[in-house]
Amino acid sequence: MLSLYMPIAGNSINVLLLFGLGGLVGFLSGLFGVGGGFLMTPLLIMAGIPSTVAAASDSNQIVAASTSGTYAHYRMGNVDFKMGILLLVGGVVGGTLGVQLIKLLRAMGNADFVIKITYVIMLGVVGFYMFVESLQALRKTAPVQEAVRRLEPGKPSIYVRMVQALPFNMYFEKSGVTLSALLPLILGVFVGVLAAIMGVGGGFIMVPVMVYMLRMPMHVVVGTSLFQILFTCINVTVMQSISNHTVDLMLAIILLVGSTIGAQVGARISRRLKADQLKILLASIVLVVMIQILVGLILPPHLMLGYKGGH
Amino acid sequence: MRHLKPQAIVGLLAFLFLLALPLGTRAAAPDVSLTVVPELVEIGTSFTGSRLTVAGEIPAGSQALLEVRGQSTATGLMRKGRRGGLWMNVGEIEIEGAPSLYLAMTSHQDLLAAGAGGQWGYQALQQKVHFTGQVQGDEVPRFFREFLQLKESEGLYGLFPGTLKTSGGNPGRTAVRGTFELPAKIAPGLYQVCLSAIEEGRVLCQKTVPLKVEMVGFPAALTELAYQHGALHGILAVIIAIVVGFVMGFVFKGKGGGH
Repeated sequence: MLSLYMPIAGNSINVLLLFGLGGLVGFLSGLFGVGGGFLMTPLLIMAGIPSTVAAASDSNQIVAASTSGTYAHYRMGNVDFKMGILLLVGGVVGGTLGVQLIKLLRAMGNADFVIKITYVIMLGVVGFYMFVESLQALRKTAPVQEAVRRLEPGKPSIYVRMVQALPFNMYFEKSGVTLSALLPLILGVFVGVLAAIMGVGGGFIMVPVMVYMLRMPMHVVVGTSLFQILFTCINVTVMQSISNHTVDLMLAIILLVGSTIGAQVGARISRRLKADQLKILLASIVLVVMIQILVGLILPPHLMLGYKGGH
Repeated sequence: MRHLKPQAIVGLLAFLFLLALPLGTRAAAPDVSLTVVPELVEIGTSFTGSRLTVAGEIPAGSQALLEVRGQSTATGLMRKGRRGGLWMNVGEIEIEGAPSLYLAMTSHQDLLAAGAGGQWGYQALQQKVHFTGQVQGDEVPRFFREFLQLKESEGLYGLFPGTLKTSGGNPGRTAVRGTFELPAKIAPGLYQVCLSAIEEGRVLCQKTVPLKVEMVGFPAALTELAYQHGALHGILAVIIAIVVGFVMGFVFKGKGGGH
């Protein structure tokens, strides 16, 4: 068995297993523009890595995968830097707010309930909405933008009017949309708060936000999302390394070699698939993860005790 | 009193002899010998756990108990419960006084059975640990069992009754031999290996040998970097990730159907 000792995780893990996990998550990252933290962290915990080390080291490998993915998408002209920077600024503000919110909830004693419920609801809503919308668009073979408009929940006209009423309009060349600069900032804050609560990069929320609320074309969404995730994860890696010493470099290096290869393959395949095919695939994965988490919450656990810092 | 009678001298000598008798008996008291191989376990890059071989001798007729014990620490735990119909962490519990590792082997099956003296094995551990946090007094036995299961699932706790091999040793002695599998999850630190001779439910004599577990080579260097130079470690991790990301980007540049 080809095993290596992970000094910060404090355990010996099969290299091929880690390489495979990295490759799989990197592939999804390149394909959909998500960091894959919502998938990788639980998989690493199942492989025997403590949850705090899994989350922190995962952030480090996402830096590599998103560098590779962003670079691949940049070469294809799929990165909207202007939009990405505005979302990033909003995300940093939102992340800081979210961390404070979690501290407050922990002090009140119901943080875990809020975290779990947020996770299930967000994965469920995003997955279900994307799945239904993409399925209908594929069946009717209608133009994507029309399908989006037709299926917009609630009153789309109000949303459009609100967006149009915002000041500081700006043209985003890469995305081909004209929007208020405040909109990506506000949405960035929203995603940042949710991501901090759930302890994930937020790619799986950011992608639908870009598609449905910022009306960006799917191929630009993927590249721009990766660009934004890259900087978020650089920040998380350095902060975790300084504050909690939970980044396992050995673990991260094996994962990132796998994930960067996977990200390149994913980025190539994403160009060959239709936008709705991409969305329905991502929606399916998000829904499967949501169901897995929900089952874990409903079924009684094997043990009524777990280590502090675990899930 | 200056001149003692011969009878008195004999009496005094007899008294001194009787006084010395228990000392002589104590000098010849049954003892235990123990050797542990290796005494130093090195955690290197390819460490996947380690096999510990122990050998020793106990007085003939006694039973053998061998324990490997880590240092006692405070362990932070979360208890699970139902909230709104869903299972999740609902409160913090801290266990103080539980060793980081506890493995026990015996020469006889029944030595670690519940109610067998309660001086060793999990029963003895339970008497030493202390629960604090969100736990009621009557819940302690249940959570102690849960704690044992959690540790056993990691290979850090384990009872192995009847697995110590015994054979005839020197006259009046029984040779004892056994092997322990130390798990890959073992933390660096000082451990104690203790061989006890048990007779009629009490420890007749015992011997403890220290066992050191330490990281060496690349894992040791990485751990020192992570804990002593956190910022440098974080920046290095990011640089490595970005460089590998770009290198892979270049490697794949000319291949496949990319633009």
